[in-house]
Amino acid sequence: MKRKVVITGCDMITPAGLDLMSTWDALVNGTSCVGTITRFDTAGLETSIAAQVPDLFNELVPQFCKRRMAKQMTYVTKMAFVSAVRAVTASGINFTQCDRSRAAVILGIVNAGYNSIEQKTGNDRIVKAMSNAPAAWLSLEYGIEGPSYPVSTACASSAYAMAFAYEMIANGQADIVITGGADSTICPEEIRGFNEILALSTLNAEPHRACRPFTKSRDGFVMGEGAGILVFESEEHACKRNASVFAEMAGYALTSEAYNIVAPKPDGAGMALTMERALEHAQINKADVAYINAHGTSTPLNDKYETAAIKKVFGDYVRHISVSSTKSMIGHTIGAAGAIEGITTVMSIKNGILTPTINYDDSDPELDLDYVPNTAREQNVNVALSNSFGFGGHNATLVFKKYKR
Amino acid sequence: MENVTEAMKEEIRSVVYEFFAEECERDVCDIIDATNVIDDLEGDSLLFIELLQLLKKKYNLAVSLQSVGKYMLQNRAETIGKVIDLMIYVVNNQEKLA
Repeated sequence: MKRKVVITGCDMITPAGLDLMSTWDALVNGTSCVGTITRFDTAGLETSIAAQVPDLFNELVPQFCKRRMAKQMTYVTKMAFVSAVRAVTASGINFTQCDRSRAAVILGIVNAGYNSIEQKTGNDRIVKAMSNAPAAWLSLEYGIEGPSYPVSTACASSAYAMAFAYEMIANGQADIVITGGADSTICPEEIRGFNEILALSTLNAEPHRACRPFTKSRDGFVMGEGAGILVFESEEHACKRNASVFAEMAGYALTSEAYNIVAPKPDGAGMALTMERALEHAQINKADVAYINAHGTSTPLNDKYETAAIKKVFGDYVRHISVSSTKSMIGHTIGAAGAIEGITTVMSIKNGILTPTINYDDSDPELDLDYVPNTAREQNVNVALSNSFGFGGHNATLVFKKYKR
Repeated sequence: MENVTEAMKEEIRSVVYEFFAEECERDVCDIIDATNVIDDLEGDSLLFIELLQLLKKKYNLAVSLQSVGKYMLQNRAETIGKVIDLMIYVVNNQEKLA
């Protein structure tokens, strides 16, 4: 029999805030965090906007990382590390009192972010660039002796990581898993690369309006960055130490589109399959789902097909479901998106508040769901889904529910 | 043949002490020759490479990192005193380690 998986700690570092609560407050307030890129000269790039984590983050790092560690870490690894330490602190876990061979670290990391900006700062190429670095540093920090590894499935990376973390606990292979992900691709070569495939918004003149998922005028996603880390724990382990529980992860599904390296399958067939399978896996009735935190990138195809997929899965019941896009406020955090949006979903369940889709000011006649337009909404949520769909056709849907002992 | 003067030895000693104090965030007064780099300072193996690069630059040494690395595998330098001896050896034996 599968064991119940509960979330006992989480933290976020995002363009909206440097911790869980400041990010949550900004999301509830519908704050756009998109602005002109300040980290490098954007001359010659079609896109000059992004959602950057506030520079103040750099002042936080020394509180968590010794000088030696920080020197050997990229910005991505530092965000993952700081966020993870805070998530563990929030969980109340003391690893010295745990069987550390039954703990693991599984993080969604597209790459460790050893980009052209990092390369200007000096040595340690190998330890900085290896994609397993964030997981390895956490294993070192806490003496975790179970598996520690990265998962790389593009924009679905951290959702995949959370699915594997769930599996380890549900199957009894671990009692505690630090999971989630981190990413930063705000650098000249990545912006240029995403411009080449026409994926990014070019609304440079109005950064705050650039990310406008599900609208008629949507013209691409806005690059974001950040980290989202969760502590998954078996219910038994959490109860033994009388831990507070944010929510339960009830199940998931992972599928592959097997269609195109960047485009989703027409009509969202792959996305629909993923949501269907996730509900089956979690043994949830469709009528119990109140909210979907959408992948909602603000690209023409994703938003169209995701909407179609939600309609296909939920049929007439879809009018009872609220759908919103966190990316409308903090951009697309790529490898961290599944985790940040997963945490946002968990916070929605915990607090009974749905975060909005901002910049929803010109509806697309084809897209007619309740997108929680522009303003947060108080609403009790017992069950919610979080979707992540990555280039390469990597699909993930995570199912969260209110925790009841 | 001894190329390193007493003054240079003192300078290397000072460089080593200051380097480890700064990198490991310790007061230089808390470090002695018997201080263990890994156990006492929570240092890491990459420190030795950085120190060597620092000295290479400072004294314009023509040694290869690989040669010094191989030498270090045979002659481990776990304490600050041993690191100082190693660095003096490197400066003194550039040709051998080139």
